[in-house]
Amino acid sequence: MTITFQPSAFSGLVDRDNGLVSREIFVNHDIYAEEQERIFTRAWLFVGHESQVAKPGDFFISSMGEESVILCRDRQGEVHVFLNSCTHRGMKVCRYDEGNTPIFTCPYHGWSFATDGSLVGVPYYKDAYHEELDKSEWGLLRVPRMTNYKGGIWASWDPQAPDFLEYIGGFRTYLDILFDGWDGAEGGTEIIGGIEKWLVPSNWKFPAENFIGDRYHNISHRSVDLVGIGPSGQGRRDNRERDGAKSLDVSFPERGHGTVIFLRPADAQPVQSYQNDPIVAEYFYACEIARKERQGELWRILGGPGTIFPNMSYLPRQPRSIAVWHPRGPDQTEVWRWFLVDRSAPPEVKEFLRQYYIRYSGPSGLTEQDDMENWNYAHAASRGAMARRLRYNYQMGQGYAVDDFEDGGLHLPGTVLDTTKARAGEQNQRTFYTRWADFMAARDWDELAGWRNGKSANGHAAQGNGAAGR
Amino acid sequence: MADIVNLMELESGQAVRLDNDATAEIVSNPGDGVWLFVRYLSHPDDPAQVGVEDMVFAQVITEVLSE
Amino acid sequence: MVTDNVTANDAVARLLLRQDVEAFLYHEANLLDERQYDDWLDLLTDDVRYWVPMRRNVKFGELEREFTREGQDINWFDEGKPTLIQRVQQIQTGVHWAEEPLSRLAHLVTNVEITDVQPDAADAGEVSLRCRFIIYRNRVQTETDILVGRREDTLRREDGQWRIARRKVLLDQNVLLAKNLTFFF
Ligand code: FES
Ligand SMILES: [Fe+2]
Repeated sequence: MTITFQPSAFSGLVDRDNGLVSREIFVNHDIYAEEQERIFTRAWLFVGHESQVAKPGDFFISSMGEESVILCRDRQGEVHVFLNSCTHRGMKVCRYDEGNTPIFTCPYHGWSFATDGSLVGVPYYKDAYHEELDKSEWGLLRVPRMTNYKGGIWASWDPQAPDFLEYIGGFRTYLDILFDGWDGAEGGTEIIGGIEKWLVPSNWKFPAENFIGDRYHNISHRSVDLVGIGPSGQGRRDNRERDGAKSLDVSFPERGHGTVIFLRPADAQPVQSYQNDPIVAEYFYACEIARKERQGELWRILGGPGTIFPNMSYLPRQPRSIAVWHPRGPDQTEVWRWFLVDRSAPPEVKEFLRQYYIRYSGPSGLTEQDDMENWNYAHAASRGAMARRLRYNYQMGQGYAVDDFEDGGLHLPGTVLDTTKARAGEQNQRTFYTRWADFMAARDWDELAGWRNGKSANGHAAQGNGAAGR
Repeated sequence: MADIVNLMELESGQAVRLDNDATAEIVSNPGDGVWLFVRYLSHPDDPAQVGVEDMVFAQVITEVLSE
Repeated sequence: MVTDNVTANDAVARLLLRQDVEAFLYHEANLLDERQYDDWLDLLTDDVRYWVPMRRNVKFGELEREFTREGQDINWFDEGKPTLIQRVQQIQTGVHWAEEPLSRLAHLVTNVEITDVQPDAADAGEVSLRCRFIIYRNRVQTETDILVGRREDTLRREDGQWRIARRKVLLDQNVLLAKNLTFFF
């Protein structure tokens, strides 16, 4: 999609050289409207999981940006994503959350669409349309780009968008930790039934930048850490497996993705974790051994929170889940959270994790409740005429990241900020807003795919290619 | 004029009459209350349609012929 | 007549039981509104089940899929006493920012109907009931949530007093309109 506009309109909002970001990009309604055009119609967005549409006719209503979309599997077994809006007069064709159906019939005038999107039923087609309506032109609007990567279904409205694997580049190494089984089995995960959906009064970028690697806000989780809901009875997570590990913030400035990881020492061995239940502890221990066998050096990487630009965030393990921050106006975000478990895990393990996930995450989760309080009031207190003139500070650790990180013979893809001693840094957030500025400035994907020519849309040299694409 | 038919209550195997006097057997009911998949049993306007499958709209169905 | 007396006695027993149960529910609601969380925890049996499913929009005839399943799916809450105790402990740390400053809460309980009594009204050891609730929550300055729904409780008499053995909460929302659920239903 090519967009005509003055790129200068948004220049200066993100000052990447000085680590400053204008508050306007969070609270300004015009900028918000532009984001819908420039980011959400062009980027790859997470839509759902393959296991939600396992059988022909299965559908799950999802969202891309502000818009409702239908994820479904047609009678031939092919998966599609369609705009959930009748091509006749716009009615929301499907108002159920999920189910199985042979056709989607519009409640307004009765047009009916097959699960492959084609228009199959038009009332009074002969008498009223004189058979002159070309039904083949009036099927549901299909999202032109869709991919199933290890069970995760992603889609983009932009026919020019690069393939998903090019879009994530070297980040694939880290995303795999989320979708593979804990023993390393390719795509060995499935969704637990029940998708959490709730509203947070905050701009969508607050949670996205928090999940990309805000280690600094650990203090705001003091209360849950004091209570101890973790899978070994302490804190909110089990940190034993991170013993002796380096803390690294990894990001891809030319792509906008980032994550925090823990890199175990070269001679590390699997350790027992999830101590609250012997069956669960045994399961994960066995998985760790299998994974080490399978992955060799890469086993040393333990995943942490991450964000795929723009609005898909995840936790790969504790608790293993995906969040999508659907924009609902500059001041509101609708969060959807999917929870993952190893498909082949024994029932005891799935049940243990289910309970842990519920008490950790979402509006009823002891951890996430405090995050949302921060996003809510950080946003609210940034809206005023004076408050919005200020800029947020993202200067932590600026200039300390490297593009050629190596440890014990393992080369990591991405730009790496070692936060082992520093404990926190804001390289990943700078990455996120650098990419945000790219999307707001770029005319098309030729400009957005800066890694192809070593230049980003902002004109800065693309950095952090690392082992991208390997 | 017969009572309005609620398509939600019909099952495959049942037969319906349409407003052009055609009759058709329900092949499957998509359960949307608006459409039925049918096979024509008789079709006065166009006898060639007998045996042909079609989607019929609720408002052209005038009567349920069999339970 | 004997039967009349029995009927009358039974009616009185049921009336008294109803009175007793309602008084308990209002007392419980008051403890929550007064933030007497430790006293509230004392009203729960050790094996209490506290379940708040999420609700889906499903097609007519498929209502069995409307609620997420207890013990199988992700639910807003699906837990026992240990986790409920942790929730109270978290509020009591004084640094649980989602409840600091504390919310102002009003639990309104109404439409109370006793649906089952064991063994009988005169000597009730376990009572099942359903009721409606409105929870009004206001915090900080203008943050306000109103949550309305249905509740199904099982009360058990332990040491001469009622305790909550099971609570199922059917919240009348799909996308949760509140940013958190830091309070108890
Ligand atoms: S809007 Fe859907 S049929 Fe008219
Ligand atoms: Fe957090």
